[in-house]
Amino acid sequence: MNATAVVINLIYFLALAPFLEGVMRKVTARIQSRQGPPLYQPYLDLLKLLGKENLNAAGHPVFRLAPLLAFASVLSAVALLPLAGWSSFLAHSSDLMTLIYFLTLSGFSILIGALASGNPFASVGASREMMTIIMLEPVLAMTLILGVVSSGSLSLLPATAGVSATRGFSYFLMMAVYLVALQAFVSRQPFDIPEAEVEILEGPYVEYSGPNYALFRYTLNLKRMFYSWLFVVGFLGFLLPEGPVLNLVIQTGLVLVLFVLISVVGATHPRFRMDQALKFYAGLVMLSLLAVGLRVKGW
Amino acid sequence: MSRAEELVLWLRKELGGNLISAEATAPGRIFVDLKREALVTAAAGLMNRGARYQVGVGYDARKSGPGFALVHTFAFDKDSLLVAIRTFAPGDDPEFDSLTPFIPGAGWSEREYQDLLGLKFRNNPNSKRLVLSDDWPTGIYPLRQEVPHDLMPPAAEEVAFRLEEAPPGTSIVPFGPFHASLHEPAHFSVYVDGEDIKGCEYRGFMTHRGIEKLAQTELTYNDIPFVAERICGICGSVHSVNYAQAVEAAAGIRISRRAEFIRMVALELERLHSHLLWIGVAGHLIGFDTVFMQAWRIREKIMWLAERLTGNRKTYGMVIIGGVRRDINQDRSQDIRVVLREVEREMLSLEKAILKDRTIHKRTRGVGYLSPEEAVKWNLVGPVARARGLSIDARRDHPYAAYDEVEFEVPVADSCDVWGTLVVRLKEVYQAIRIINQCLDKLERLPRNEPLSVDLEGPIPPGRQGLSLVEAPRGEAVHYVLTGEDNRPGRWRVRAPTYPNLQAVPAMLLNNKLADFPIIVGSIDPCISCTDRVLVVERSSGQARLLSRQELESISRQKRSGK
Amino acid sequence: MWLWNKIKQLAISFRAGVVTLRYPFESRPAPEDFRGQPVWDHAKCIGCAGCANHCPARTIFLRDICQEVRILLYDSSRCTYCGRCADLCPEKAITMSDRFELATDNRQDITQTIELFMMTCQRCGRCYDLEIKNYIDRLSRLGYRYDSLEVRKVIQRSTADFSPEELEKTIGYERPGRLDK
Repeated sequence: MNATAVVINLIYFLALAPFLEGVMRKVTARIQSRQGPPLYQPYLDLLKLLGKENLNAAGHPVFRLAPLLAFASVLSAVALLPLAGWSSFLAHSSDLMTLIYFLTLSGFSILIGALASGNPFASVGASREMMTIIMLEPVLAMTLILGVVSSGSLSLLPATAGVSATRGFSYFLMMAVYLVALQAFVSRQPFDIPEAEVEILEGPYVEYSGPNYALFRYTLNLKRMFYSWLFVVGFLGFLLPEGPVLNLVIQTGLVLVLFVLISVVGATHPRFRMDQALKFYAGLVMLSLLAVGLRVKGW
Repeated sequence: MSRAEELVLWLRKELGGNLISAEATAPGRIFVDLKREALVTAAAGLMNRGARYQVGVGYDARKSGPGFALVHTFAFDKDSLLVAIRTFAPGDDPEFDSLTPFIPGAGWSEREYQDLLGLKFRNNPNSKRLVLSDDWPTGIYPLRQEVPHDLMPPAAEEVAFRLEEAPPGTSIVPFGPFHASLHEPAHFSVYVDGEDIKGCEYRGFMTHRGIEKLAQTELTYNDIPFVAERICGICGSVHSVNYAQAVEAAAGIRISRRAEFIRMVALELERLHSHLLWIGVAGHLIGFDTVFMQAWRIREKIMWLAERLTGNRKTYGMVIIGGVRRDINQDRSQDIRVVLREVEREMLSLEKAILKDRTIHKRTRGVGYLSPEEAVKWNLVGPVARARGLSIDARRDHPYAAYDEVEFEVPVADSCDVWGTLVVRLKEVYQAIRIINQCLDKLERLPRNEPLSVDLEGPIPPGRQGLSLVEAPRGEAVHYVLTGEDNRPGRWRVRAPTYPNLQAVPAMLLNNKLADFPIIVGSIDPCISCTDRVLVVERSSGQARLLSRQELESISRQKRSGK
Repeated sequence: MWLWNKIKQLAISFRAGVVTLRYPFESRPAPEDFRGQPVWDHAKCIGCAGCANHCPARTIFLRDICQEVRILLYDSSRCTYCGRCADLCPEKAITMSDRFELATDNRQDITQTIELFMMTCQRCGRCYDLEIKNYIDRLSRLGYRYDSLEVRKVIQRSTADFSPEELEKTIGYERPGRLDK
C-alpha cells in the first residue's frame, strides 16, 4: 500500500506538472489580453525538446550530469511528499531534513550545471541563484520547523500537519511569508531574477538545449508544483477522514487556485533587481524567525 | 540685428581671409565655407556662443570641386538657426583638425569619415574603426566616387575587432550582437564587478546597408523617399519627410499647405505608435510583460489607422519630393478622430496604472542617471535630453512643415534618469494627439483643390546644400543633402537621433547594476538600423559552409579557453 | 495602495478582453486602399517601362529580345509594396491587390512575367516620357532595355535603336564588384 503511494506521487506529479504550467501561461495570456497557448502546450514543448539534439557546448561531464541530478532530486522530494494525507513508506526512513536536502540539491545542481557551462550569463545567473537559495531555504526550513514545534516530531506527516495545528498569529504570519516566498520558489516575477530573460537570457539555462533543457524545464515545473503543494498540505491541510481520492481532488483544486494567484501576481509586477530582492528576502527570513518564535510561545 | 547677421559679422571679423563665403539660403540656415585652417577656431567660437553640435558630413568632391569636403553643422536652438560650416582638403592630403577634443559628440562623425572616405583627423583621441566591418580591406574607402556601390570584398574569418581588455578587478559580460534585450545587432562589452557596471565598450555598425552610397550612385530623387523610409523600422516617415524637406530646401521648392499638414499627421501618428511601442518595450525590459502587451494593444489601433490612411501599417509611402501621394479626406479624418479619442481614453488609464505603480518606480528611478551638464556635453536629443531638463524640440525650435501653426507643449522632466524618459514619453503621447486634431481641423478648412504635390518644371540644379531637421519620436533627426548631377543627390547624409544618444550610453551605464543594463540602453530607444545606415558592407563570403556539430563545439570551446 | 493599483491594472486588462486573433486559422482582411502585391493587367499594359523606371527597389525588369518583343518581369521577393508603379502607370494596368500572405519556397510563385508585342514609335522607339509632368520623374531611361532576367538586375543601359550586340553582351551578365582574395 505504502509503496503504491510513492508511485502514485511520482505519476501524479509527472503528469500534472506541465499542465499547471499551461494554466499559468493561459492565465498570464488572459491578463495580457492574448489568446495564449492551449493548456497542453507545455507537454508539446517538452516532447519537442526531448526530440532535439543535446548540445554540450561546455564539454564537461558535470554539464551533462547536472540536469539529471536536478530532476532526480526533485523527484525524490516528490516521492516523500504526503500527498492527500498518505504517508509513503519512504517516510519511515526519512524526515524533514531529507526533504530540505533534496530540494537544496536540485537548486545546487542547477548551480553546478551553470558554472560548468562557463558562459558569463550563466555565471551571473548562478550567482543570483545561489543568493536566492541562501536567502530562501531558511524560509522553507522555518515553515517546516513551525510544524516541528507543534508536533514535536521531525517526521514528514506530523510535521507538515503540525504547521496548521494551531491557527494562531504565527500561523497567519508564516502563511503570508510563505505565500510571498512562493513567488520566488516558483521563480515568477517579481522574483524570477536568476533567469531574467531580457537581462541574462535565462541565466543558468543559457547553454542548455534539447533533452537536457527539457529535464530542467520539467524540474522547474515539478518544483513549482511541489512548493505549491507543500503550501496546501502545510497550511490548508483540511483532510477529510475517509476519502483519499476526494482529498486528492480538493488539494489539486487548491493548487490550481494557487497557480492562478501566482500567475496574476507574476503578470502584474516587474522584475526586481537582485539588491532590491535581497532586502526583501532578508525581511522574509526575519519574519519567519519571528513566526517560529511566536509558535514556541504558543501564539 | 538678428542672431544670424550677428554670427556672420563675427565670422567675418574673427576669420578674416579664412572665410570664403557665408550665405543664408533659407531663413534659419547659414552655410559657411572656410579654409581648413580656420575650422577649429570657427567651431570653438560657435560652441562658445551656445551652439549645439549636430553632425559631420564628409563627401568626395574631387571631380567637381577642390577635393574632399567636410561639413559640420551646429544648431542654435533659441534662435531657430542652423549653421553649416564646410571646409575642403585637397585629394592628396585629406587631413582636417579634429573637433573631438572639445566636442566629444563629434567623435563618431569623424571616425565615420576616417573609415568611409579615408579622411584623417589630427588630434582625434580615439581613432579605432567605427563603421566598416573588421574584415574590410584597408585602403578601400567605400564612399569615394571610384568605388562601385556593389563592391564585395572577400570575407576574412580570422580578423576580429579588438575589444579593450577589462580593467583590473572586473570581468566582461558581453551583450550582443544577439541578445534578448537588444532588438538589433550591436555589441556592448560590459565590464562588471559582481553586478555593478564599471564601464563598457560599444561596437556597432553591424547592419550597414549602403543606403547613402546607393542613393548617390543608383537611385533617383524620387526613389529615395521610399528607401529612406526603410532606414528605420519605426520612424520611417521621419526619414522620408526629412529627406524630402532637405531636397526641397536645396532646390527652393514650396509645397502646398495641404501636403504639409498631411505630412504632419503622418509624423505625429508615427510618434504615437513609436512612444507606445517604447512604453511596451520598456515594460518588457524590466520584466513587466503585461505593460508590454497592453501598450501594444493600444498601439495596434494606431497601426490600424495608419493602414487605412496610407495602405500600409508601417511604411506609409506618403512622401515624394514636392508633396504627398495620398489625401486625407473627410471620412478618413473622421476615422482618425474616433481612434484618437479611444487611444486618449485608454492612455489615461494606462498612464495612471504605470505612474502609480511603486514597483515600476523601483526599477526606473535613479537608474541611468546623467546630469544635465553631461547631457549637454554629449549633445543628447529627444526625450532622453528632455528627461534631463534640456528643453529642446526641433518642432518648436526649428519649425518645419506647419508646426509653427499648431499649439503644443514640450514636456520636460528633471529627474535625469530612466523614469524621466518614461514620463516625458507618456506626456508626449497627448501632445501628439493634440497636434493631429489641430491638423485635421486645418485640413478641413483648406480649399479642396490644393494640389497634393507640386510639379517640378525643371531639373534640380546641382551643388546646392539643404539641411533639414525633423523631431523624430527619439529625438532630432538631421538630413543633409547636396544636390548632384544625373537626377540624384551628390551627397545625402542621415543622422538619426540614436547617433548622438548612443554615444552617451556608456556614461549612463556607469555604476549601475547589470540588471539595469537593458532598461538603460532601452531608455534611449536605440534604433541601431537608423544609426548603421551607412555603407556597403555585405559580409557573405560568397559561398556558405555548414559547420558540423563537432566543429562548432570545438570552436566554441577554443574561444572559451582562449580567454 | 499597492493592491488598489494592481486591481486597476487587472481591470484595464480584463476590460479589453482578448484582442489577438487566431491568425493563421482566422483570416485578417486587408482594408481598402491596402498596398498589397501589385498585379499587372496583360491587356492594358503598353510596355512603356514607367513602372520599371520608377521602382525604388528595382524589382521590375525589362528585356527587349528583339525589335518587337519586350519581356517584363516583376519579382515580388524584393518588392517593398510602395505602389509607385501603380501610381505612375499611364494606362492604370497595375493595381495594388489586397494579397499580403506571400511567403513561399518557390520564387516563381511570386514572379509575374508579361510578354508584350511592341510597335515601334517612329520617333523614339518607346514613347512614354511626356506622360509625366514632374521633371525629376521624367528623367529616366528610354528606348530599348536589356535588364538581366536571370540574375534579376536592372542594367543601367538602354539604346535608342534595338541593338543585338547589347543584348548579346547582357546575356551572361554577372554582378560586378566582387574582389578576389
